[in-house]
Amino acid sequence: MSVDSESVVGKTRQRAAAVVAPVFSPRSERERELRRIVALCVPFLVLVLFSGFFPLVEMARISVSEAQFTTRGFTLKAYRTLATDPYYLSVAFNSLWFAAATTLASIAVAVPVAHALEKYDLPGKRAFVTVMSFPNSLPGIVAAFMIIVLFGNTGLLTNLFAVLSGQSATTLAIATTVAGLFFAYLYSMIPRAMLLLRGTYAEVNNDAEEAARSLGATPFQTFRYVTLPQIKPGLIGAFILVFRTGLAIFGTILILKSLLVWTLQINRELATDFNLARASAMATVWFLFVFVFTMLALKYTSAEVSIG
Amino acid sequence: MSTEFDGESLSSRFGRQAVTLVLIATVLFLASPVILTFVSSFATDWTGVLPKGFVTVQNWQAVIFGNDIGANVALGSSLFYSVGLALGGVVINLIVGVPIAYAVARYDFWGRDWINIFAILPLAPGIILGIAFLRTYPDLSTSGIALVIGYSLLKAPYMVMAVQSSFESMDLQQLEESSRSLGASWFRTFLTIIVPNARTGIIAGSIISWTLAAAEFNFSYIVYSRGTPPLSLFLFKNITNSSFLNAAAAVSVFFLLIAGVTIALQIIGHQRSGSTV
Repeated sequence: MSVDSESVVGKTRQRAAAVVAPVFSPRSERERELRRIVALCVPFLVLVLFSGFFPLVEMARISVSEAQFTTRGFTLKAYRTLATDPYYLSVAFNSLWFAAATTLASIAVAVPVAHALEKYDLPGKRAFVTVMSFPNSLPGIVAAFMIIVLFGNTGLLTNLFAVLSGQSATTLAIATTVAGLFFAYLYSMIPRAMLLLRGTYAEVNNDAEEAARSLGATPFQTFRYVTLPQIKPGLIGAFILVFRTGLAIFGTILILKSLLVWTLQINRELATDFNLARASAMATVWFLFVFVFTMLALKYTSAEVSIG
Repeated sequence: MSTEFDGESLSSRFGRQAVTLVLIATVLFLASPVILTFVSSFATDWTGVLPKGFVTVQNWQAVIFGNDIGANVALGSSLFYSVGLALGGVVINLIVGVPIAYAVARYDFWGRDWINIFAILPLAPGIILGIAFLRTYPDLSTSGIALVIGYSLLKAPYMVMAVQSSFESMDLQQLEESSRSLGASWFRTFLTIIVPNARTGIIAGSIISWTLAAAEFNFSYIVYSRGTPPLSLFLFKNITNSSFLNAAAAVSVFFLLIAGVTIALQIIGHQRSGSTV
């Protein structure tokens, strides 16, 4: 078979050519189109293969390896520890409830914010949007620092409350407590939730809301029965994505250290005795859980993911 | 005036105020620490409610040139190293992101929806991918190539989304067919007609994925072994080891970077809205 000059001949491609002959010697316009689609997708798939798939497979192999420094044999020791040791179960529980609670809180804040930005005639709206999108570009370690600026020992709010209440600043500082961590998570998650919900709000039908209002519905009833059903798919989509974000947070917790969550424990496995097998097992469990969760959630809910 | 009137509910009286209050509180929560950090980086002391002792550049000097206490690395090398690494990631993102965005926006094919989900949802977050990279590419991690490859996978979704939004505002089929009927090959059409028309999305996507790659901490922290630390690790060292005000100056360097990028994006957005009239 002939391979034309456009395509780079490679071993894998030749093997693939045997399977999808039309891609390499198209005879119809439909087959030529198929070849173009494949050519457009190949670079991305190569990247996913080399920087995503291979490393993740290697990680899974390390997690069942019998030896510490080479990958060989097969043992489920690491997984057995994760599934039975109460310590790891509590770490998993911490991760899940904390991510769920912060996701709910950040969406509860992002809905009114997106609502106000879309519906109300506010001065300086564009500036608000810019300011609230800014933290989307900040890494978690900076979010943690922002919380120290507000709630740390020398923090603005800490000292403000100290002056008002007369108590010492160190007793009032909450930056390194679970409450402080909660705010640190919100610092990263509210802007993300808002980005997603603004996309959803942009598609809401304003006429239906106006009709409801003129028929005598209160603003809350209008929101509850007219707006909410329309933004529901977007809300579910935002919940899924923000929950994933919450589970993946690592830099923030590495600095504040106030709750032992799964990602922090992964780092501790490496930092204390370089137990790569167990760290890999934990990362594999994380990956599979989030992968399955996302797939099921996208398939079985009306979730819609739109980014505005 | 209408308190006796049944329709005057709690939500119509206070609803708007309450919602606006949430908006203002959120803006303050997100913006005030940024402003305070920047302002305090020029202060000599912060023990009361507000920083005092303005204006000094000694915190900035310590960050930019390094000092012997705390994190004694100079900013310059880390900044340039990260700029380069992130640029490498952007180049890969352009090669993989623009074609896949075009495929999804232009053609209808089997598995298109799943390809789209994979292209716009990050496959694995930084820390998980970092663990996966540890032994898969051990030789690459010291040279920075592992960081470039990892950044490009982690930030590809942002490139794809930005380019897709550009493609969605174009009549791709008509563009492609006009160009083809005038005799250009499909490949030439793609390179000389489609790509230049999507330049605003491509530039915006490059800037976004560049910033996020330069800011990526979780992946860099796990994979980095020795040599010049990337910018985010430089920030981490400053936040954990330096005095508070030095850390404020280091974080402020980063803010300036992001602010510059935000302004650049606004200018591009402005050009776009101006040119589509």
